[in-house]
Amino acid sequence: MNAHLPLLEIRNLSKSYGAVKAVNDVSIHIDRGEIAGLIGPNGSGKSTFFDCSTGLARPDTGTVILDGQDITGWSLNRIAREGRMLRSFQKTVTFKSLDAEENLVIAGQMFTFPSIAATFGLGKLSRSRIEGLRERARELIKMAGLWDVRHQPAGNLSGGQQKLIQFASMLMPEPKLILLDEPMAGINPKIIERVVDTILYANKSLGVSFLVIEHNIDVVTSICQRVVVLDQGSKLVEGLAHDIIQDQRVREAYLGG
Amino acid sequence: MSLTETVPQARRRDLRIPLAVVLIVVALGAPYMGSRYVTHSLIIALIFMLPAHGLNLLVGYTGLLSLAQAAFFGIGAYTAGLLAVTYGTPFYVNLIAAALVSGAAALPLGIPALRLRSTSFVMCTLGFVIIGQAIAKNWVSVTRGDMGLSSIPKPYFELGPLSFTVSGTTNFYYLALAVGVLATLAVWAIVRSPAGRNMVAIRENETLAESLGVPTWHYKLIVFMISAMFAGVGGCLYAHYLTVVSPLTFQMYYSTTMLIIVLGGGAGMISGTVFGSLLFVGLTEALRVAPEVRMIAYGACLLVLVFWFKQGFAPLINRFWNAIGGVK
Repeated sequence: MNAHLPLLEIRNLSKSYGAVKAVNDVSIHIDRGEIAGLIGPNGSGKSTFFDCSTGLARPDTGTVILDGQDITGWSLNRIAREGRMLRSFQKTVTFKSLDAEENLVIAGQMFTFPSIAATFGLGKLSRSRIEGLRERARELIKMAGLWDVRHQPAGNLSGGQQKLIQFASMLMPEPKLILLDEPMAGINPKIIERVVDTILYANKSLGVSFLVIEHNIDVVTSICQRVVVLDQGSKLVEGLAHDIIQDQRVREAYLGG
Repeated sequence: MSLTETVPQARRRDLRIPLAVVLIVVALGAPYMGSRYVTHSLIIALIFMLPAHGLNLLVGYTGLLSLAQAAFFGIGAYTAGLLAVTYGTPFYVNLIAAALVSGAAALPLGIPALRLRSTSFVMCTLGFVIIGQAIAKNWVSVTRGDMGLSSIPKPYFELGPLSFTVSGTTNFYYLALAVGVLATLAVWAIVRSPAGRNMVAIRENETLAESLGVPTWHYKLIVFMISAMFAGVGGCLYAHYLTVVSPLTFQMYYSTTMLIIVLGGGAGMISGTVFGSLLFVGLTEALRVAPEVRMIAYGACLLVLVFWFKQGFAPLINRFWNAIGGVK
């Protein structure tokens, strides 16, 4: 571990779709223990940037360095498994026919079993590993306030509750870093508070760092220390959250003025 | 004291164990209860249950619709047939070889096919059956072309100094039953394992599974190979039972039959595949004695399924099972 290095460093990342430069030469870094924000108007390349950083899409150029290791070109599952960098999706996604506990157990499996072959085991070791995961899952379900609905299929729950399941799932593997893509989109204000609390809890008590894409500026200013602003695929400005929202360039980008 | 507290005395008894005992007795005693033709129908049902179990892992649990099952069934049948005819190997050697060859054949086919998206994948797997038949027809030096392999010996076992041959319909029924029970237990074990949970995760949402560290591509390939192994085992029984294997073993009709067993029985449920095999293969085979109503009954059965039991019959079986156990 190189404590003096940033946890995640992305250098000169670019990605084009045809003639459209979705992300153009963006460099950012995230420090250990930090909650950083990534904001920008719709279509500014935030999600593409996420996809390229987490292995869902391949960047055209650029390097992604996680904890001192070059992970550029790794697949999504490998970055999650070996890098312990997890991501959420803008659309709420859960394993809909399974209940909260099963959702969380799945999230932890590949971090507990050493190989694919081991996951076919039914022996004592395999059962005790799953029991360990169940215990952790129940703790996280309690923390996320989903205890009463833990036996219902995730697909029957509200969008906000599914967001919480998704969020709790990402905490199963004891991640180093979580990238959240619009965690507050489309959920009611009551749940927003709960999601904010959970993020802060994960950050303070579990030591997870975050990079958060969010449109809700109140949320951004209340949880993020540092904010990066993207506009039309390029980095517009970077700084402390409170300074950023006062920045004239940011206002113009958002208002199209 | 409220009224509800007196209810437990009136609770229905758990009838599941007696029913299970009855089912086991029927399964074991079937050859002595019905005619030889009924036993034959049950054997055919048990043979087709094997590829259907494999297909259920693929379609029901992992969410991959494949029509290639008949191809692996045929590969298994030819492997067992060739070994038995050429080398006179014991049954269990043929069985293991059929499973391994079918599973191995699934690797080079699965690697390109699984890169395709849903409908293209289905079309690609359809191609495997046609290619398999073309090879069986034209690789005459090995497969004897359209003539096929004939007079495949009855399965025989060699256990140390003991050796015996399984001859006669009744004895073959018990062999097929033993293989069928073992295969059902194997499916149960796979589904119950953590890998089974990962398979369901892939079916429900592949990208989400991937984002949680599940190497979805590897799992899909492994399940594709396992499902081919089940088909190969079924093919081995088929070859030994019919004693003839021809290029017609590779036919789309078999693939669709296996798919109907899985979807009609209830995809993603083991009981569904078992029930589906009995219903869609055993029953149609039994109805061969009445050819004029056979396909009508089959068609009517499918219509009932499509309109009233969209999830297949398995949810119905489960509800019945819980009801007789006194569980709500």
